[in-house]
Amino acid sequence: MKKTLGMIMRHLFLAVLALIWLIPVVWLFVTSLSAYKGINTMHFFPTKWSMDNYAQLFFRPDTVANFPAWFKNSMLIGVFSCMISTIFVLMVAYAMSCMRFQGRKALMSFAIILGMFPGVLSMIAIYFVMKLIGLSNSLTGLVVIYSAGSGLGYLICKGFFDTIPASLRESAKLEGASELTIFTKIVIPLSKPIIVYTVINSFLSPWMDFVMAKLMIRSKDPADWTVAMGLFNLVQRTLVGNYFSVFCAGGIIVAIPISVLFVIMQRFYVEGITGGAVKG
Amino acid sequence: MKKFLNAAKNYFVDFGKAVIHGNLWTKSSLVVMGAGFWGCGQYIKGILVTAMEILFFAVTFGFSLEYIRKLGTLGTVQREETLDLTTLTKTVNDYDNSLLILLCGIIGILFLVIFVLFYISNMKRVYALELEKKADRHINTFREDLRELINGKFHITLLTLPSLGVFLINIIPILFMICIAFTNYDMDHQPPTYLFTWVGLENFKMLVTSTTTVTFGYVFIRILLWTLLWAFLATFSTYFGGILLAKFINDKKTKWKKLWRTLFVITIAIPQFITLLLVGKMFGDYGIINSLYNKAGITSFLQDIGLVSKGLSYIPFLSKPGWAHVMVVLINIWVGVPFQMLSATGILMNIPEEQMESAKIDGASEAQIFWKITMPYMLFVTGPSLITAFIANINNFNVIYLLTSDYVTSNMKFANSNAKEMDLLITWLFTLTNDYSNYKMASVIGICVFVICAVCTLISFSRMIAGNREEELQ
Repeated sequence: MKKTLGMIMRHLFLAVLALIWLIPVVWLFVTSLSAYKGINTMHFFPTKWSMDNYAQLFFRPDTVANFPAWFKNSMLIGVFSCMISTIFVLMVAYAMSCMRFQGRKALMSFAIILGMFPGVLSMIAIYFVMKLIGLSNSLTGLVVIYSAGSGLGYLICKGFFDTIPASLRESAKLEGASELTIFTKIVIPLSKPIIVYTVINSFLSPWMDFVMAKLMIRSKDPADWTVAMGLFNLVQRTLVGNYFSVFCAGGIIVAIPISVLFVIMQRFYVEGITGGAVKG
Repeated sequence: MKKFLNAAKNYFVDFGKAVIHGNLWTKSSLVVMGAGFWGCGQYIKGILVTAMEILFFAVTFGFSLEYIRKLGTLGTVQREETLDLTTLTKTVNDYDNSLLILLCGIIGILFLVIFVLFYISNMKRVYALELEKKADRHINTFREDLRELINGKFHITLLTLPSLGVFLINIIPILFMICIAFTNYDMDHQPPTYLFTWVGLENFKMLVTSTTTVTFGYVFIRILLWTLLWAFLATFSTYFGGILLAKFINDKKTKWKKLWRTLFVITIAIPQFITLLLVGKMFGDYGIINSLYNKAGITSFLQDIGLVSKGLSYIPFLSKPGWAHVMVVLINIWVGVPFQMLSATGILMNIPEEQMESAKIDGASEAQIFWKITMPYMLFVTGPSLITAFIANINNFNVIYLLTSDYVTSNMKFANSNAKEMDLLITWLFTLTNDYSNYKMASVIGICVFVICAVCTLISFSRMIAGNREEELQ
């Protein structure tokens, strides 16, 4: 008797917690289906349901909400910076983990020190640098910003490479393989979890970032914005009354690619993180 | 430290040796850098090195030298527009742009430093080559040199592009902002219309003074304390919350484990900036939570017990200090726990079963097992990442900025310094640059944040890099 009561309590507790965690998500979803455009402050569920917000999002871009263009911009930025950052991270991690050269430790300490400077501090300076080389206010500039410094985030990947037995590489070397061959033919095929982890992380961070984008893209034309910038703009005080449920619909749409990525990586995610975390 | 000095000494001694003992080819490398390679038959390499030398001189004399010379004053000629009344055209004088001078000056100096290092190591390489030739050893052809780049010197190939990126995005901006902290670059000194100049430690003094007009000292201490408190609370609440939740779900007695896990993980799928803006609206002064609480009578109950002042018709979740401080920590738990649960799940599964079993047989209670076996193991594995998380929370821009963007401070001292009670150092810095163009103070604050992060990292530094644990693990 006592045992079943404990079981019920345990699951009830979990259910309450899950409910708390899901309320905002559910609210986001139901509001995206509301016919009323502003914030419904009196009722949790909309009084009138409609799919109009999604239709407006995709087929009726106007002067403040141009979702198709935002989506395209964010997608381009995400894909390109993801490719560049992943390659950079893998390259640096291989050099730091599998090769031994003069100044390696010094470089690693230097990378850690650089990582301690707050990103927000250099943001404005990055803007000036980009302006100097003529890349401010452009998608290319954003891709450069998101991917150029990514080599610094090599630590987790290096941790993973450290677990690949050195004997594998040594025996390949004895057979006459060059470092390039070892890198592409041995280490990379063995590192699928961490590659998936890196790819997804480097795709998601530009996808979700809005501060840097807001600082860099000074254009007043919504067609030049990214998803994050555009959605952020929709909940500013002057617009929120007319666009809140559109914002929610946008939020749901943005969550879709992330969820898909997440399902793919779920298997690798835990493996990847812990694989690297053990060694810091 | 001593080792470093020795290495530096050897570096220059080797250079001296190369200059004194080298033959004519090597010596002429002092002027034409590729000469030594030509002397040994490495023609293409010689041409490449010389081309780099020419490029450097072209850039320095054609572009950056002018800026470097003006670095001392950051420009003296202010911009002036004169209107020619006969033709009605505006002419602008040849003015100095302090911003451009500082930025290009820094880039020029970096270029110079890199060139000098390259120059010295080039001399040493040329001398070594000469010695090898004398000893009649094999000298690499250009093709062999290239092959070496994907083999023994593969790290150079790998690291070149990423380092260039880091130079562009990290090193130059950081140096630039550090310099700004020692200038008077603010709203009243904005290039190109106005000049700014060096002021020494003036800004640092300003950060610790508090008078009736300057309140930076007062505000800085308060925001610093709140930042540290926030980082501590945010890190540990999500850390333990995540572990406990993972433990609870993974317990043998819990059914439908996968379902529970998925329910929590769903929240991760929605980007943080969306959930934060949404939750911010939910808890707004006239948001849905407030109207529901009002209906249920919770608001008047809180007014009765004195938690909400009588003058308000709503609960100031995110608009009054105190309430807002608690709310951001709670909302951060909501945001952070699912992530932590996910990574804790992986680690918990790796805890050796035998240890738990034997502890159970010896009669240890659940709580004892948790505190004596699970937690030490978790701490061992996640210790370094805990400090990383602490630093990440000091810099946790999103949560604070997005939740409190509607917050208006009523404290004049905060308002004087363009801050709010809710600000972390990092959001304060952002507001100062983005809304008030007060770059000088923002840079000073940025340096303070760096010092805090550096101290935290130093504590864990030895654990992260020192020791040759990486070799053991391979």
